[in-house]
Amino acid sequence: MDITVQDSKRWMGARLERKEDLRLVTGQGKYLADIVLPGMLHAVFVRSEYAHARITGIDVAAARALPGVVDVITGDEIRTRVKSMRQPVVLPNLPAKYPDYHALAVDKVKFHGDPVAVVIARDKYVAEDAAELVVVDYEELPVVVDAEQALAPGAPRVHDEEADNEMFAMTFTGGATADEQMRNEAEVQRIFDTAEVVVSNRFRVHRTGITPMEPRGVLCDWSLADGLTAWITTQRPHIDRLALIDILEIPGERVRVIAPRDQGGGFGVKAPFYRENVVIAYAARKLGKPVRWIETRYESLMNVGQERDQINDVEIAATKDGRLLALRNRGIANNGTGQTGVYWGFVMPFLGQVEMPNVYTWEKGDIKLRVATTNKACLTPSRAFGHFPTRFAIERSIDIVARRCGLEPADLRRRNMVPKLPYTTITGEYFDSGDFLKVWDSLLRQIDLPAFRREQVAARAHGRYLGIGFACGAELSGVASELLVPMENQPGYGAATVRVDPRGKVLIFGGDAPGGQGHETTVAQVVASIFGIDPSDTLVTTGDTGATPFGAGTIGARAGSYFVSAVHKACAELKEKITHVLAHDLGVRATTEEFAFTNGDVIYLRDPSRRKTFREIVERIIMFPVNLPEGEVGGLEATAFFEAAKPMICFNADFCIVEVRPETGEFTIKRWATSEDVGNVINQNIVDGQMHGAIVQGLSNAIFEEFIYTDEGQQLTADFEHYKLATAADVPDIELSYASTPCPHTPLGTRGIGEGRPSSVPGALCNAICDALSPFGIEVTELPLRPSTLWAQIRDAQARQH
Amino acid sequence: MFPAQIEEYVRPTTVAEALAVNARYDEGDALFIAGGQSLMQALKSRMARPRCLIDLQAIDALKGIEYSDGVRIGAMTRYVDIAADERLRGRNAALRDAAAHVGDRQVRNRGTIGGSCCWNYLASCTPAVVLGLGGRMHLVAADGTRRVVPATEFLIGPLETARRADELLEAVSFAGATDRGGSAYRKWGLVKDALPVVGVCVCVELDAAGRCSAASIALSGLAAGAQLAPAGAALLVGSSGDATTLARAMDAVAAAVEAQSDKWASTAYRQQLIRTLGADVAATAFARATA
Amino acid sequence: MQTVRITVNGTQYEEAVPPRMLLVDFLRERLALTGTHVGCTYEGVCGACTVHLDGEAVKSCMLLAVQADGHAVTTVEGLSSNGDLSVLQQSFREHHGLQCGFCTPGILMNMTDFLARHPEPSDDDIRHGLIGNLCRCTGYVHIVKAVREAAKTLAGGAG
Repeated sequence: MDITVQDSKRWMGARLERKEDLRLVTGQGKYLADIVLPGMLHAVFVRSEYAHARITGIDVAAARALPGVVDVITGDEIRTRVKSMRQPVVLPNLPAKYPDYHALAVDKVKFHGDPVAVVIARDKYVAEDAAELVVVDYEELPVVVDAEQALAPGAPRVHDEEADNEMFAMTFTGGATADEQMRNEAEVQRIFDTAEVVVSNRFRVHRTGITPMEPRGVLCDWSLADGLTAWITTQRPHIDRLALIDILEIPGERVRVIAPRDQGGGFGVKAPFYRENVVIAYAARKLGKPVRWIETRYESLMNVGQERDQINDVEIAATKDGRLLALRNRGIANNGTGQTGVYWGFVMPFLGQVEMPNVYTWEKGDIKLRVATTNKACLTPSRAFGHFPTRFAIERSIDIVARRCGLEPADLRRRNMVPKLPYTTITGEYFDSGDFLKVWDSLLRQIDLPAFRREQVAARAHGRYLGIGFACGAELSGVASELLVPMENQPGYGAATVRVDPRGKVLIFGGDAPGGQGHETTVAQVVASIFGIDPSDTLVTTGDTGATPFGAGTIGARAGSYFVSAVHKACAELKEKITHVLAHDLGVRATTEEFAFTNGDVIYLRDPSRRKTFREIVERIIMFPVNLPEGEVGGLEATAFFEAAKPMICFNADFCIVEVRPETGEFTIKRWATSEDVGNVINQNIVDGQMHGAIVQGLSNAIFEEFIYTDEGQQLTADFEHYKLATAADVPDIELSYASTPCPHTPLGTRGIGEGRPSSVPGALCNAICDALSPFGIEVTELPLRPSTLWAQIRDAQARQH
Repeated sequence: MFPAQIEEYVRPTTVAEALAVNARYDEGDALFIAGGQSLMQALKSRMARPRCLIDLQAIDALKGIEYSDGVRIGAMTRYVDIAADERLRGRNAALRDAAAHVGDRQVRNRGTIGGSCCWNYLASCTPAVVLGLGGRMHLVAADGTRRVVPATEFLIGPLETARRADELLEAVSFAGATDRGGSAYRKWGLVKDALPVVGVCVCVELDAAGRCSAASIALSGLAAGAQLAPAGAALLVGSSGDATTLARAMDAVAAAVEAQSDKWASTAYRQQLIRTLGADVAATAFARATA
Repeated sequence: MQTVRITVNGTQYEEAVPPRMLLVDFLRERLALTGTHVGCTYEGVCGACTVHLDGEAVKSCMLLAVQADGHAVTTVEGLSSNGDLSVLQQSFREHHGLQCGFCTPGILMNMTDFLARHPEPSDDDIRHGLIGNLCRCTGYVHIVKAVREAAKTLAGGAG
């Protein structure tokens, strides 16, 4: 504990030890798999071995006959007892062909891993024994796993009821009408026709994502009196509750969803509304017993955490002195089945295209996206939501333009960076505040670039290939209702209830459901600084829809922007009431600003001898609500909702230095340095940790992780021996630095951070690799970045040169 | 995922007792479990469904490294103990190279040389090193018959060995340290210390003049399992380990090898890794021989 | 069913278990020691279930409970005594060596064993020692720092 922090205001920005950690380092965390109810039954899913097949029969007799098995449920039963998964509560307000589907597969399986049946047994080992005994007869159907093939005429159709596999298509530039968009297209074409420099590349990013260490899980309890209580690993308990109400048709007062206090990471993977929630809730209601399902890693890697998977055909028109003129992109996303509530897979690539222009001042752009349905698992959100591939494409393209112009890529970026905020991009993304150039210049101060260039030349003379790569990006700082309503059909405001306890403690209730971000600590620091109390005098409760205000959930970096701002707003309301009563008690006429809340006291600043302890005054208001100022009533509790007037952003920039060994294509990251605009910081440790984690996730996605499907749609990477996460020995140390600008749209000047942060990583890394290999003229346009493919490119280049 | 039903678990304290239990079951119905770091994967994925597990952990006779004429490593000797034994040097140093980088610390605290050799997974390090160092496998049968099988004959192919169903591997033995012997092993994987995409073991013996009098090269990570590369080894003989010779030898290994192509590496890339990694490994082996 | 006697965090337990029961299930479900976590299916790669078997770090999802019969197991719940955190646990708090905490118990168990054997590790040593523990949140930076600082504290005798 940093005991040097005395002044209450100093809680902001402190490297305070986290309140969460005492329980987490002693094994006393309570994750979903740690919750046990008396008489609890265990569920194991039977999942499809085929990517596309008609179910011609399911024989559950042997499974049912196994002692200890309580029930076996198939799609036919679910179809007749429960509504389908396509309900308005989980449908975005975007024009897409939303496939209808049930919680268990009916008639057809559409990807390898599709849930076909569920076995419920008294013992989890027995449930697995029984699952092996379920016999499913399949008639195989033609499979389509490639997005372009899926969009081609005559491709096998994933959803029989649709005419083709194009689930969603959109133009992001030029205006709202087709005429305006066509006019824009022509204008962009004219720029390309006359441009001095045109760079065109096809960028491919593989299927990968951010797999949390804790897999998913659901525990449902049913009682005749109270209905359904569902513990779900989820980032959005309130939305899950609505979905359960609508799909299972249970009156709302009889459904309570609880996200466990401790969750082993989410990163977007725990944000959708999943089919397993419905199956387990249905089983608990049917059997009148608690039923629990804990996802295996195998199931997890088969079903969720798969994102990216885009092709972007990027063209840039520029002047030969390096001014960017126009950006054209034709994006294609491989959505998988599109069967996952809230996002339906395509919402990620949709946002990816919105963020495509990044922080550069294009004169015009022409950006289009097509989303293909295939026989792969549906895309699920993963940190750097949708724009990991587009950021890679744009940041690589910028470097290629710079090389064509003979300019330093860092200079070309600076020259085309949005110089002044606010700014609206060619796709309509709004950048509210900050100073991109300040962050960029601060980054460049951490490297003597001319000296590096000399070192690079000298090293090459000795057969050593060093390179430097830059990248940057603006990320959403929370997602505003303006964007969340169309994208996810839900509000974006932050929600918090603050309850002051008569003993001088403060209890905070949030509608979010964190998974490691440190909400308990961050909020404690904010509340402590407002009320002049110690952070240890607070308690934060999240995740329980029975106890917390309705909120959007822990998504899109909203803790530092929306949630703490809602907390601040509720605290401000209470502060006003406290000072109002205190002024009355002291017999003075004073505004809230004339009182200081510090070190456990509330002090009248015009006469500091006149004060009360925080506990005295709050106890008086809550417990002794007599002789109050006229019109005031007792009690100290407030719920506040916060929404900024405009969407908000944060900004970051990276460089890295690599050395490549041309004989093998192996590379070493020698330095990774950043500069960040995170607004005002609440807990520096937590902010640092977010950045470290995001950057390493970016590296792990770019280099190691890959979901591999065969042409028959068989998924080959459903364990950690084949789906390779970076280990500690595979990644570098990270040097962070900050050049922040307080956000003017939040009460504390804070920004939400961390969500989009991995997206700049593949660009910076591959730019450095290509810089190192510039003597060979190699431009990396595909991920993953593997030594083997790099070596093949080097070998081909050497062959060309000789 | 959880193992299928297991009827019996026994923990004998002698080899004879272990073999007697094994004899009570039909072939494949009883399995010996050593460190279990591979077998547990097979049990949990239900690829293996034994009725009986015979745990070898309490048989002290199977543990430890003995030095007399040669080196005899008990089958139940763990990676952590092999990696830490500084007496394994010179021509046996490759054993430590491999053991120190199998999986991770937790795996090395359980995994054993005997378990690895009997499982003979294609992408494991130990079989290749045992092969490269000319290891000899000491087997004992239920009736007490003992036989010694060279690693070349023992390691038939992925998941296949010459161990008969009624036999237990007692130990693996190697020639003892010589004045001028050296060996080394290294592997390449996408993430550190993972199962190898390819691994190379080189073992050389030098004469008084510092010239190579005998050499062997073994490879791991290949679809056909651990294998020797005699054509390359022959080129090392007579040389003093100069860079040109090492490169030529590894070129020959790469040219002769049948390397698979998969998502982690193409055939050509595996061959290139054999060249670059192999040359480094060979140089280390020569350096150790002269140290 | 087979009767096993396993000493866990200093207390001996005698329990009848099916031979196929994993040690991690024995700890979590029989003894309600839920600090030991499960993060993979059959592969035994993530390391969240790491415990000590007779003082050495092992993965409890790669052992059957019957194999631990007669042995001493220490779990993360056994690292602190009388409410006093170990130097390593305290270092993880101080240096923010965890976020979601799911992998943390396994890392603490592995690194406790590691520091006992490598009292003066370099950062490379620490990173190599951590290969058997996957972490998704931290990028490992603060984990390495927490282990490094704990080693210094232990060396200084301040712990």
